[in-house]
Amino acid sequence: NMENLQQTSRNLLVCDQSSLRHRKCRLSQQVQQHHFNHQVSLLLPECGSAPPPLDAALRSFSSSYLLRKLPLHELLDTHFLQDAVYQGSVYGLSYRSRIDEDTCVALLPSGQLVLSLDKDVYERLGVEGKPSRFNQRANSRYVVTVNLTDSSMAPGGRGYQRLLTGLKSRVQLQTDFLLSHHPGGGEALKALLSRYDWTEHRPQVSSRLLTNLPCPTPLTSDLPSCDPHSFLEWLGAVEAEVSCDNESTSFLSTLVCPEPRAVLSRALRVRVSGLLLPQDVYRLIEELRRCWDGRGTASWAALTVQGFADSPVSWGSREHGFLKGGENFYSLLLCSDHSYWLCMGTGAHDGCPP
Amino acid sequence: MDERLVRAKIPTELEKVLGVESQPKSKAEAFVQAFLQSSTRQDTNSLNTHKAVILGYARPKKKKSQNSKKARGLNARQKREMKVFQIKPEHQRYELFLPLHNLWRQYIIDLCNGLKPSSNPQLVQQKLLKADFHGAIITVVRSKCPSYVGTTGILVQEFKHVFKIITKEDRLKVIPKRNSVFAVEINGFVSYIYGSKFEQRASERSAKKFKVKGTIDL
Repeated sequence: NMENLQQTSRNLLVCDQSSLRHRKCRLSQQVQQHHFNHQVSLLLPECGSAPPPLDAALRSFSSSYLLRKLPLHELLDTHFLQDAVYQGSVYGLSYRSRIDEDTCVALLPSGQLVLSLDKDVYERLGVEGKPSRFNQRANSRYVVTVNLTDSSMAPGGRGYQRLLTGLKSRVQLQTDFLLSHHPGGGEALKALLSRYDWTEHRPQVSSRLLTNLPCPTPLTSDLPSCDPHSFLEWLGAVEAEVSCDNESTSFLSTLVCPEPRAVLSRALRVRVSGLLLPQDVYRLIEELRRCWDGRGTASWAALTVQGFADSPVSWGSREHGFLKGGENFYSLLLCSDHSYWLCMGTGAHDGCPP
Repeated sequence: MDERLVRAKIPTELEKVLGVESQPKSKAEAFVQAFLQSSTRQDTNSLNTHKAVILGYARPKKKKSQNSKKARGLNARQKREMKVFQIKPEHQRYELFLPLHNLWRQYIIDLCNGLKPSSNPQLVQQKLLKADFHGAIITVVRSKCPSYVGTTGILVQEFKHVFKIITKEDRLKVIPKRNSVFAVEINGFVSYIYGSKFEQRASERSAKKFKVKGTIDL
Protein backbone atom coordinates (compact mmCIF):
# COMPACT_ATOMS: atom_id res chain seq x y z
CA ASN A 1 0.00 0.00 0.00
CA MET A 2 1.62 3.21 -1.08
CA GLU A 3 0.31 5.23 1.85
CA ASN A 4 2.00 2.95 4.35
CA LEU A 5 5.36 3.37 2.66
CA GLN A 6 5.15 7.12 2.96
CA GLN A 7 4.48 6.93 6.68
CA THR A 8 7.40 5.86 8.81
CA SER A 9 7.19 5.40 12.53
CA ARG A 10 8.27 8.47 14.39
CA ASN A 11 11.23 9.03 16.69
CA LEU A 12 11.44 11.72 19.31
CA LEU A 13 14.58 13.69 20.05
CA VAL A 14 14.60 16.29 22.80
CA CYS A 15 17.70 18.51 22.88
CA ASP A 16 18.58 20.57 25.89
CA GLN A 17 21.36 23.13 25.93
CA SER A 18 22.46 24.58 29.22
CA SER A 19 25.35 24.94 31.61
CA LEU A 20 26.19 22.96 34.72
CA ARG A 21 26.79 26.20 36.52
CA HIS A 22 23.29 27.40 35.73
CA ARG A 23 20.98 27.68 38.72
CA LYS A 24 18.09 25.87 37.10
CA CYS A 25 20.11 23.12 35.49
CA ARG A 26 17.87 20.06 35.23
CA LEU A 27 20.55 17.57 34.33
CA SER A 28 20.49 15.70 37.63
CA GLN A 29 16.69 15.14 37.46
CA GLN A 30 16.89 13.99 33.87
CA VAL A 31 19.68 11.56 34.69
CA GLN A 32 18.11 10.25 37.89
CA GLN A 33 14.73 9.68 36.25
CA HIS A 34 16.19 7.29 33.71
CA HIS A 35 16.02 4.28 36.00
CA PHE A 36 17.19 1.39 33.87
CA ASN A 37 20.52 1.97 32.11
CA HIS A 38 22.12 -0.78 30.16
CA GLN A 39 25.30 0.76 28.77
CA VAL A 40 27.36 3.88 29.34
CA SER A 41 29.79 4.84 26.60
CA LEU A 42 32.33 7.62 27.10
CA LEU A 43 34.31 9.27 24.30
CA LEU A 44 37.39 11.19 25.43
CA PRO A 45 39.26 13.02 22.66
CA GLU A 46 43.05 13.39 22.72
CA CYS A 47 43.31 10.78 25.45
CA GLY A 48 45.37 7.62 25.54
CA SER A 49 44.01 6.29 28.77
CA ALA A 50 41.44 7.42 31.25
CA PRO A 51 42.70 9.60 34.07
CA PRO A 52 42.82 7.65 37.36
CA PRO A 53 39.86 9.27 39.13
CA LEU A 54 37.71 8.72 36.08
CA ASP A 55 38.90 5.17 35.80
CA ALA A 56 38.07 4.56 39.45
CA ALA A 57 34.58 5.99 38.92
CA LEU A 58 34.08 3.74 35.92
CA ARG A 59 35.07 0.64 37.80
CA SER A 60 32.99 1.37 40.86
CA PHE A 61 29.53 0.86 39.36
CA SER A 62 27.34 -1.31 41.65
CA SER A 63 26.83 -4.89 40.66
CA SER A 64 23.42 -6.39 39.99
CA TYR A 65 21.97 -9.80 40.75
CA LEU A 66 20.19 -12.09 38.32
CA LEU A 67 17.59 -14.40 39.91
CA ARG A 68 16.47 -17.36 37.86
CA LYS A 69 12.76 -18.26 37.65
CA LEU A 70 11.58 -15.89 40.34
CA PRO A 71 7.82 -16.25 41.04
CA LEU A 72 6.48 -12.74 41.00
CA HIS A 73 4.55 -13.04 44.24
CA GLU A 74 7.94 -13.09 45.98
CA LEU A 75 8.25 -9.39 45.22
CA LEU A 76 5.47 -8.95 47.79
CA ASP A 77 7.33 -10.90 50.45
CA THR A 78 7.28 -8.95 53.72
CA HIS A 79 11.00 -9.37 54.43
CA PHE A 80 11.90 -8.17 50.97
CA LEU A 81 9.60 -5.19 51.39
CA GLN A 82 11.05 -4.24 54.74
CA ASP A 83 14.72 -4.75 53.93
CA ALA A 84 14.84 -3.47 50.39
CA VAL A 85 11.77 -1.63 49.17
CA TYR A 86 11.09 0.52 52.21
CA GLN A 87 14.80 1.36 52.74
CA GLY A 88 16.71 2.93 49.89
CA SER A 89 15.84 2.26 46.27
CA VAL A 90 15.36 -1.06 44.50
CA TYR A 91 15.82 -1.34 40.75
CA GLY A 92 14.29 -4.48 39.30
CA LEU A 93 13.66 -5.55 35.72
CA SER A 94 12.50 -8.79 34.17
CA TYR A 95 15.29 -10.33 32.12
CA ARG A 96 14.94 -11.57 28.54
CA SER A 97 11.21 -10.83 28.34
CA ARG A 98 9.99 -9.06 25.23
CA ILE A 99 7.83 -6.03 25.89
CA ASP A 100 5.49 -6.65 22.98
CA GLU A 101 4.95 -10.37 23.56
CA ASP A 102 5.65 -11.57 27.10
CA THR A 103 4.83 -10.19 30.50
CA CYS A 104 7.39 -7.62 31.59
CA VAL A 105 7.89 -6.44 35.14
CA ALA A 106 9.72 -3.39 36.45
CA LEU A 107 10.28 -2.40 40.07
CA LEU A 108 11.00 1.31 40.31
CA PRO A 109 12.99 2.93 43.12
CA SER A 110 9.91 4.86 44.20
CA GLY A 111 8.31 1.56 45.18
CA GLN A 112 6.10 1.26 42.13
CA LEU A 113 5.65 -2.17 40.62
CA VAL A 114 4.82 -1.95 36.90
CA LEU A 115 3.42 -5.07 35.23
CA SER A 116 3.03 -5.02 31.47
CA LEU A 117 0.64 -7.90 30.70
CA ASP A 118 -1.08 -9.29 27.66
CA LYS A 119 -4.86 -9.59 27.54
CA ASP A 120 -5.26 -13.17 28.73
CA VAL A 121 -3.05 -12.73 31.77
CA TYR A 122 -4.69 -9.43 32.70
CA GLU A 123 -8.20 -10.87 32.47
CA ARG A 124 -7.24 -13.71 34.78
CA LEU A 125 -5.17 -11.75 37.30
CA GLY A 126 -8.02 -9.68 38.71
CA VAL A 127 -6.16 -6.46 39.56
CA GLU A 128 -7.31 -3.18 38.05
CA GLY A 129 -5.04 -1.74 35.39
CA LYS A 130 -5.12 0.49 32.31
CA PRO A 131 -4.90 -0.43 28.64
CA SER A 132 -1.52 0.35 27.13
CA ARG A 133 -1.23 3.64 25.29
CA PHE A 134 0.26 1.91 22.30
CA ASN A 135 -2.52 -0.51 21.46
CA GLN A 136 -3.33 -0.33 17.77
CA ARG A 137 -7.04 -1.11 17.68
CA ALA A 138 -8.18 -3.83 20.02
CA ASN A 139 -6.80 -3.70 23.54
CA SER A 140 -4.15 -6.38 23.55
CA ARG A 141 -1.82 -5.08 26.23
CA TYR A 142 -2.54 -3.79 29.72
CA VAL A 143 -0.36 -2.07 32.29
CA VAL A 144 -0.94 -2.63 36.00
CA THR A 145 0.83 -0.11 38.26
CA VAL A 146 0.87 -0.68 41.99
CA ASN A 147 2.63 1.45 44.60
CA LEU A 148 4.10 -0.90 47.18
CA THR A 149 4.86 1.93 49.60
CA ASP A 150 1.26 3.12 49.63
CA SER A 151 -0.83 2.47 52.74
CA SER A 152 -3.38 0.47 50.72
CA MET A 153 -0.63 -1.98 49.73
CA ALA A 154 0.68 -2.54 53.25
CA PRO A 155 1.01 -6.28 54.00
CA GLY A 156 -2.32 -7.61 55.17
CA GLY A 157 -4.32 -4.86 53.50
CA ARG A 158 -7.03 -5.57 50.94
CA GLY A 159 -5.09 -4.38 47.90
CA TYR A 160 -2.04 -6.38 48.96
CA GLN A 161 -4.09 -9.55 49.52
CA ARG A 162 -5.80 -9.24 46.18
CA LEU A 163 -2.53 -8.85 44.26
CA LEU A 164 -0.95 -11.65 46.25
CA THR A 165 -3.77 -14.16 45.56
CA GLY A 166 -3.76 -13.05 41.95
CA LEU A 167 -0.04 -13.71 41.52
CA LYS A 168 0.00 -16.86 43.62
CA SER A 169 -3.12 -18.82 42.70
CA ARG A 170 -4.86 -17.28 39.69
CA VAL A 171 -1.91 -16.57 37.40
CA GLN A 172 1.42 -18.12 38.34
CA LEU A 173 3.84 -15.63 36.79
CA GLN A 174 7.49 -16.56 36.87
CA THR A 175 10.39 -14.81 35.20
CA ASP A 176 14.14 -14.25 35.41
CA PHE A 177 14.74 -11.05 37.30
CA LEU A 178 17.59 -8.54 37.46
CA LEU A 179 17.81 -6.77 40.80
CA SER A 180 19.97 -4.01 42.18
CA HIS A 181 19.76 -1.99 45.37
CA HIS A 182 21.13 1.38 46.31
CA PRO A 183 22.83 1.84 48.72
CA GLY A 184 22.54 -1.59 50.30
CA GLY A 185 23.65 -3.76 47.41
CA GLY A 186 23.43 -7.51 47.85
CA GLU A 187 22.99 -7.31 51.60
CA ALA A 188 19.56 -5.69 51.34
CA LEU A 189 18.42 -8.31 48.84
CA LYS A 190 19.47 -11.38 50.78
CA ALA A 191 15.85 -12.18 51.69
CA LEU A 192 15.26 -13.20 48.07
CA LEU A 193 18.80 -14.26 47.16
CA SER A 194 18.86 -16.94 49.83
CA ARG A 195 15.86 -18.73 48.34
CA TYR A 196 16.49 -18.66 44.61
CA ASP A 197 19.21 -19.41 42.14
CA TRP A 198 21.24 -16.24 41.65
CA THR A 199 24.37 -14.94 39.97
CA GLU A 200 26.12 -11.65 40.53
CA HIS A 201 26.81 -9.43 37.55
CA ARG A 202 29.65 -6.97 37.86
CA PRO A 203 29.48 -4.24 35.20
CA GLN A 204 32.04 -4.97 32.49
CA VAL A 205 34.40 -2.18 31.47
CA SER A 206 35.98 -2.25 28.03
CA SER A 207 38.02 0.42 26.29
CA ARG A 208 39.31 1.02 22.78
CA LEU A 209 41.68 3.52 21.32
CA LEU A 210 40.57 5.20 18.09
CA THR A 211 43.08 6.93 15.80
CA ASN A 212 42.74 9.52 13.05
CA LEU A 213 39.23 10.38 13.92
CA PRO A 214 37.59 13.31 12.11
CA CYS A 215 35.49 15.34 14.48
CA PRO A 216 33.49 18.59 14.35
CA THR A 217 35.26 21.58 15.92
CA PRO A 218 33.92 24.62 17.66
CA LEU A 219 34.25 28.04 16.11
CA THR A 220 33.58 30.53 18.83
CA SER A 221 32.34 28.88 22.03
CA ASP A 222 33.25 25.41 23.15
CA LEU A 223 30.12 23.83 21.73
CA PRO A 224 30.40 22.55 18.15
CA SER A 225 29.08 24.83 15.50
CA CYS A 226 26.90 22.19 13.88
CA ASP A 227 23.41 21.45 15.11
CA PRO A 228 22.82 18.78 17.78
CA HIS A 229 21.20 16.40 15.31
CA SER A 230 24.20 16.14 13.01
CA PHE A 231 26.51 15.89 16.00
CA LEU A 232 24.44 13.01 17.31
CA GLU A 233 24.61 11.27 13.95
CA TRP A 234 28.38 11.62 13.91
CA LEU A 235 28.66 10.40 17.50
CA GLY A 236 26.53 7.38 16.66
CA ALA A 237 28.75 6.60 13.69
CA VAL A 238 31.82 6.71 15.93
CA GLU A 239 30.21 4.46 18.54
CA ALA A 240 29.12 1.96 15.91
CA GLU A 241 32.56 2.20 14.25
CA VAL A 242 31.12 3.24 10.93
CA SER A 243 33.60 5.23 8.87
CA CYS A 244 32.65 8.80 8.05
CA ASP A 245 34.87 9.12 5.01
CA ASN A 246 32.06 8.73 2.50
CA GLU A 247 34.36 7.23 -0.08
CA SER A 248 32.91 6.69 -3.49
CA THR A 249 33.95 3.05 -3.40
CA SER A 250 32.17 2.28 -0.19
CA PHE A 251 28.47 1.50 -0.32
CA LEU A 252 27.94 0.96 3.40
CA SER A 253 27.18 4.44 4.57
CA THR A 254 27.03 8.00 3.39
CA LEU A 255 27.47 9.54 6.82
CA VAL A 256 29.90 12.46 6.94
CA CYS A 257 31.45 14.37 9.74
CA PRO A 258 29.82 17.81 10.01
CA GLU A 259 31.87 20.83 8.91
CA PRO A 260 34.03 22.46 10.09
CA ARG A 261 36.12 19.50 11.07
CA ALA A 262 39.51 18.58 12.38
CA VAL A 263 41.23 15.23 12.67
CA LEU A 264 41.97 13.91 16.13
CA SER A 265 45.13 11.90 16.37
CA ARG A 266 43.62 9.68 19.02
CA ALA A 267 40.49 9.29 21.13
CA LEU A 268 39.54 6.87 23.87
CA ARG A 269 36.17 5.12 23.97
CA VAL A 270 35.28 3.39 27.26
CA ARG A 271 32.16 1.26 27.71
CA VAL A 272 30.46 -0.07 30.84
CA SER A 273 27.50 -2.42 30.54
CA GLY A 274 25.17 -4.18 32.96
CA LEU A 275 22.22 -2.96 35.04
CA LEU A 276 23.66 0.46 35.89
CA LEU A 277 22.17 2.69 38.53
CA PRO A 278 21.46 6.34 37.69
CA GLN A 279 23.24 7.38 40.88
CA ASP A 280 26.45 5.82 39.53
CA VAL A 281 25.96 7.53 36.16
CA TYR A 282 25.55 10.90 37.83
CA ARG A 283 28.64 10.27 39.92
CA LEU A 284 30.54 9.62 36.70
CA ILE A 285 29.32 12.91 35.25
CA GLU A 286 30.41 14.75 38.38
CA GLU A 287 33.84 13.10 38.16
CA LEU A 288 34.11 14.13 34.52
CA ARG A 289 33.31 17.70 35.46
CA ARG A 290 35.97 17.64 38.19
CA CYS A 291 38.54 16.32 35.72
CA TRP A 292 37.99 19.34 33.55
CA ASP A 293 39.10 21.79 36.12
CA GLY A 294 42.58 20.44 35.92
CA ARG A 295 43.01 19.73 32.21
CA GLY A 296 43.18 22.12 29.30
CA THR A 297 43.94 19.92 26.33
CA ALA A 298 40.60 18.75 25.01
CA SER A 299 37.55 20.92 24.94
CA TRP A 300 34.77 18.35 25.16
CA ALA A 301 33.76 14.78 26.15
CA ALA A 302 30.71 12.81 25.07
CA LEU A 303 28.76 10.38 27.22
CA THR A 304 26.00 8.16 25.81
CA VAL A 305 23.71 6.17 28.08
CA GLN A 306 21.53 3.45 26.53
CA GLY A 307 18.40 2.12 28.21
CA PHE A 308 16.90 -1.36 27.94
CA ALA A 309 14.94 -2.08 24.79
CA ASP A 310 12.36 -4.22 26.64
CA SER A 311 11.82 -2.11 29.71
CA PRO A 312 8.17 -1.25 30.52
CA VAL A 313 9.17 2.33 31.47
CA SER A 314 11.59 4.82 29.94
CA TRP A 315 11.92 8.00 32.05
CA GLY A 316 10.08 8.10 35.37
CA SER A 317 6.97 6.00 34.90
CA ARG A 318 6.39 6.92 31.25
CA GLU A 319 5.31 3.85 29.32
CA HIS A 320 7.82 2.42 26.85
CA GLY A 321 7.09 0.09 23.97
CA PHE A 322 8.86 -1.61 21.10
CA LEU A 323 7.73 -1.02 17.54
CA LYS A 324 10.74 -1.28 15.25
CA GLY A 325 13.28 -0.56 17.95
CA GLY A 326 13.19 -0.08 21.70
CA GLU A 327 15.65 2.77 21.93
CA ASN A 328 15.53 5.07 24.93
CA PHE A 329 18.87 6.75 25.34
CA TYR A 330 20.49 10.08 26.03
CA SER A 331 23.73 11.65 24.90
CA LEU A 332 25.54 14.26 26.91
CA LEU A 333 28.17 16.50 25.31
CA LEU A 334 30.09 18.17 28.09
CA CYS A 335 32.42 21.09 27.38
CA SER A 336 35.28 22.53 29.33
CA ASP A 337 33.38 25.69 30.21
CA HIS A 338 30.72 23.49 31.89
CA SER A 339 28.14 24.04 29.20
CA TYR A 340 26.49 20.96 27.79
CA TRP A 341 24.15 19.53 25.20
CA LEU A 342 21.75 16.82 26.32
CA CYS A 343 19.94 14.90 23.57
CA MET A 344 17.30 12.42 24.74
CA GLY A 345 15.88 10.09 22.14
CA THR A 346 13.01 7.65 22.17
CA GLY A 347 11.22 5.54 19.57
CA ALA A 348 7.71 5.24 18.19
CA HIS A 349 5.95 3.64 21.14
CA ASP A 350 7.18 6.10 23.73
CA GLY A 351 6.23 9.21 25.56
CA CYS A 352 8.19 12.43 25.40
CA PRO A 353 11.38 12.52 27.53
CA PRO A 354 11.48 15.14 30.29
CA MET B 1 -108.24 -7.76 -3.14
CA ASP B 2 -109.27 -4.39 -4.07
CA GLU B 3 -110.20 -2.10 -1.23
CA ARG B 4 -113.23 -0.91 -3.17
CA LEU B 5 -114.64 -4.36 -2.94
CA VAL B 6 -114.44 -4.25 0.83
CA ARG B 7 -116.26 -0.98 0.93
CA ALA B 8 -118.75 -1.82 -1.75
CA LYS B 9 -122.37 -1.71 -0.91
CA ILE B 10 -124.15 -5.01 -0.50
CA PRO B 11 -126.60 -5.55 -3.38
CA THR B 12 -130.31 -4.98 -2.44
CA GLU B 13 -131.36 -8.61 -3.14
CA LEU B 14 -128.89 -9.92 -0.59
CA GLU B 15 -129.96 -7.39 2.00
CA LYS B 16 -133.26 -9.14 2.53
CA VAL B 17 -131.71 -12.61 2.51
CA LEU B 18 -128.97 -11.75 4.99
CA GLY B 19 -131.10 -9.53 7.09
CA VAL B 20 -128.43 -6.79 6.99
CA GLU B 21 -128.95 -3.18 6.41
CA SER B 22 -126.13 -1.50 4.55
CA GLN B 23 -125.39 1.87 5.74
CA PRO B 24 -124.31 4.92 3.78
CA LYS B 25 -120.63 5.57 3.45
CA SER B 26 -120.13 8.22 6.14
CA LYS B 27 -121.99 6.29 8.74
CA ALA B 28 -120.04 3.15 7.92
CA GLU B 29 -116.74 5.00 8.34
CA ALA B 30 -117.76 6.45 11.67
CA PHE B 31 -118.91 3.03 12.84
CA VAL B 32 -115.51 1.47 11.88
CA GLN B 33 -113.53 4.19 13.68
CA ALA B 34 -115.58 3.83 16.82
CA PHE B 35 -115.24 0.07 16.74
CA LEU B 36 -111.44 0.29 16.31
CA GLN B 37 -111.05 2.81 19.10
CA SER B 38 -113.05 0.75 21.52
CA SER B 39 -111.19 -2.41 20.74
CA THR B 40 -107.58 -1.23 20.46
CA ARG B 41 -107.57 1.64 22.96
CA GLN B 42 -104.89 3.42 20.90
CA ASP B 43 -104.78 6.34 18.61
CA THR B 44 -105.76 4.73 15.35
CA ASN B 45 -104.14 7.48 13.29
CA SER B 46 -100.82 6.87 14.81
CA LEU B 47 -101.18 3.20 14.01
CA ASN B 48 -101.51 3.96 10.38
CA THR B 49 -98.52 6.23 10.00
CA HIS B 50 -95.38 4.49 8.89
CA LYS B 51 -93.37 3.71 11.89
CA ALA B 52 -90.38 1.54 12.19
CA VAL B 53 -90.96 -1.12 14.71
CA ILE B 54 -87.93 -2.84 16.14
CA LEU B 55 -88.32 -6.51 16.28
CA GLY B 56 -86.38 -8.66 18.68
CA TYR B 57 -83.06 -10.39 17.68
CA ALA B 58 -83.48 -13.31 15.52
CA ARG B 59 -80.54 -15.14 17.17
CA PRO B 60 -80.61 -16.05 20.82
CA LYS B 61 -77.93 -14.28 22.94
CA LYS B 62 -74.94 -16.44 23.85
CA LYS B 63 -74.34 -16.60 27.56
CA LYS B 64 -70.75 -15.67 28.57
CA SER B 65 -69.36 -18.63 30.43
CA GLN B 66 -68.28 -17.74 33.93
CA ASN B 67 -65.40 -20.26 33.87
CA SER B 68 -62.64 -17.92 32.56
CA LYS B 69 -61.11 -17.72 36.00
CA LYS B 70 -57.84 -19.45 35.01
CA ALA B 71 -54.72 -17.70 36.29
CA ARG B 72 -53.44 -15.11 33.78
CA GLY B 73 -50.31 -14.39 35.69
CA LEU B 74 -48.87 -11.05 36.78
CA ASN B 75 -47.25 -8.66 34.37
CA ALA B 76 -43.74 -7.30 34.96
CA ARG B 77 -44.85 -4.18 36.79
CA GLN B 78 -46.90 -6.17 39.25
CA LYS B 79 -44.03 -8.55 39.80
CA ARG B 80 -41.72 -5.67 40.58
CA GLU B 81 -44.23 -4.12 42.95
CA MET B 82 -44.84 -7.32 44.79
CA LYS B 83 -41.07 -7.98 44.95
CA VAL B 84 -41.61 -11.65 44.40
CA PHE B 85 -38.08 -12.27 43.15
CA GLN B 86 -36.24 -10.36 45.82
CA ILE B 87 -34.61 -12.18 48.65
CA LYS B 88 -35.13 -10.52 51.98
CA PRO B 89 -32.01 -9.62 53.95
CA GLU B 90 -32.82 -12.02 56.75
CA HIS B 91 -32.85 -14.81 54.18
CA GLN B 92 -29.51 -13.83 52.71
CA ARG B 93 -27.38 -16.32 54.57
CA TYR B 94 -24.94 -18.73 52.99
CA GLU B 95 -25.82 -21.62 55.34
CA LEU B 96 -29.44 -21.47 54.25
CA PHE B 97 -28.46 -22.26 50.68
CA LEU B 98 -26.14 -25.17 51.38
CA PRO B 99 -28.98 -27.73 51.31
CA LEU B 100 -29.93 -26.32 47.92
CA HIS B 101 -26.38 -26.90 46.77
CA ASN B 102 -26.50 -30.52 47.91
CA LEU B 103 -29.77 -30.99 46.07
CA TRP B 104 -28.19 -29.56 42.96
CA ARG B 105 -25.24 -31.91 43.20
CA GLN B 106 -27.56 -34.90 43.48
CA TYR B 107 -29.52 -33.63 40.51
CA ILE B 108 -26.44 -33.25 38.35
CA ILE B 109 -25.06 -36.64 39.35
CA ASP B 110 -28.36 -38.24 38.43
CA LEU B 111 -28.52 -36.26 35.22
CA CYS B 112 -25.14 -37.48 34.08
CA ASN B 113 -25.81 -41.07 35.15
CA GLY B 114 -23.33 -40.97 37.99
CA LEU B 115 -20.28 -38.78 37.43
CA LYS B 116 -17.43 -41.27 37.38
CA PRO B 117 -13.84 -40.27 36.52
CA SER B 118 -14.23 -42.45 33.43
CA SER B 119 -17.27 -40.65 32.03
CA ASN B 120 -16.95 -38.95 28.70
CA PRO B 121 -16.47 -35.18 29.26
CA GLN B 122 -18.32 -34.42 26.02
CA LEU B 123 -21.42 -36.20 27.27
CA VAL B 124 -21.29 -34.45 30.62
CA GLN B 125 -20.92 -31.11 28.88
CA GLN B 126 -23.91 -31.76 26.61
CA LYS B 127 -26.06 -32.56 29.61
CA LEU B 128 -24.83 -29.52 31.50
CA LEU B 129 -25.77 -27.21 28.63
CA LYS B 130 -29.43 -27.95 29.24
CA ALA B 131 -29.21 -28.30 33.00
CA ASP B 132 -30.43 -25.85 35.57
CA PHE B 133 -27.74 -24.20 37.65
CA HIS B 134 -29.68 -22.93 40.62
CA GLY B 135 -27.71 -24.02 43.65
CA ALA B 136 -24.36 -24.51 41.89
CA ILE B 137 -21.17 -23.06 43.31
CA ILE B 138 -19.89 -20.70 40.65
CA THR B 139 -16.51 -18.93 40.43
CA VAL B 140 -15.58 -16.12 38.05
CA VAL B 141 -12.34 -17.19 36.42
CA ARG B 142 -11.81 -14.57 33.72
CA SER B 143 -13.49 -11.28 33.12
CA LYS B 144 -13.03 -8.09 31.15
CA CYS B 145 -13.58 -6.22 34.40
CA PRO B 146 -10.87 -7.38 36.83
CA SER B 147 -12.84 -6.74 40.00
CA TYR B 148 -15.27 -9.60 39.25
CA VAL B 149 -12.47 -12.15 39.04
CA GLY B 150 -12.34 -14.48 42.03
CA THR B 151 -15.91 -14.03 43.32
CA THR B 152 -17.30 -17.40 44.40
CA GLY B 153 -20.69 -18.34 45.72
CA ILE B 154 -23.90 -20.33 45.41
CA LEU B 155 -26.13 -19.31 42.51
CA VAL B 156 -29.50 -18.29 43.88
CA GLN B 157 -31.15 -16.70 40.88
CA GLU B 158 -30.43 -16.85 37.20
CA PHE B 159 -31.91 -14.14 35.02
CA LYS B 160 -31.51 -13.47 31.37
CA HIS B 161 -28.36 -11.37 31.67
CA VAL B 162 -27.10 -11.73 35.25
CA PHE B 163 -26.29 -14.30 37.86
CA LYS B 164 -27.20 -13.56 41.45
CA ILE B 165 -24.90 -15.38 43.81
CA ILE B 166 -24.46 -15.41 47.55
CA THR B 167 -20.91 -15.46 48.83
CA LYS B 168 -19.55 -17.00 52.01
CA GLU B 169 -19.59 -13.57 53.63
CA ASP B 170 -23.40 -13.53 53.19
CA ARG B 171 -23.26 -10.90 50.48
CA LEU B 172 -25.64 -11.08 47.55
CA LYS B 173 -23.63 -10.25 44.43
CA VAL B 174 -25.06 -9.53 41.00
CA ILE B 175 -22.66 -10.56 38.25
CA PRO B 176 -23.46 -9.83 34.59
CA LYS B 177 -22.99 -12.82 32.33
CA ARG B 178 -21.46 -10.92 29.46
CA ASN B 179 -17.67 -10.81 29.07
CA SER B 180 -16.98 -13.26 31.87
CA VAL B 181 -16.02 -16.90 32.14
CA PHE B 182 -17.49 -18.92 35.02
CA ALA B 183 -16.25 -22.20 36.42
CA VAL B 184 -18.62 -24.80 37.84
CA GLU B 185 -17.08 -27.69 39.70
CA ILE B 186 -18.77 -31.01 40.43
CA ASN B 187 -16.96 -34.14 41.67
CA GLY B 188 -13.67 -33.15 40.10
CA PHE B 189 -15.19 -32.10 36.77
CA VAL B 190 -14.61 -28.41 36.14
CA SER B 191 -16.81 -26.91 33.50
CA TYR B 192 -16.13 -23.45 32.07
CA ILE B 193 -19.16 -21.40 31.05
CA TYR B 194 -18.59 -18.53 28.66
CA GLY B 195 -21.15 -16.05 29.92
CA SER B 196 -21.47 -14.10 26.68
CA LYS B 197 -22.96 -17.16 24.97
CA PHE B 198 -25.20 -18.00 27.91
CA GLU B 199 -27.47 -14.98 27.89
CA GLN B 200 -30.82 -16.76 27.92
CA ARG B 201 -33.32 -17.42 30.67
CA ALA B 202 -32.76 -20.76 32.34
CA SER B 203 -36.13 -21.98 31.13
CA GLU B 204 -35.42 -21.01 27.53
CA ARG B 205 -31.94 -22.48 27.57
CA SER B 206 -33.19 -26.02 28.08
CA ALA B 207 -34.82 -25.90 24.66
CA LYS B 208 -32.08 -23.98 22.83
CA LYS B 209 -29.62 -25.50 20.37
CA PHE B 210 -26.17 -24.04 20.80
CA LYS B 211 -24.32 -23.21 17.62
CA VAL B 212 -20.60 -22.61 17.39
CA LYS B 213 -20.51 -19.03 16.18
CA GLY B 214 -18.02 -16.22 16.55
CA THR B 215 -15.08 -16.07 18.87
CA ILE B 216 -14.90 -17.03 22.53
CA ASP B 217 -12.31 -14.37 23.22
CA LEU B 218 -13.69 -11.89 25.73
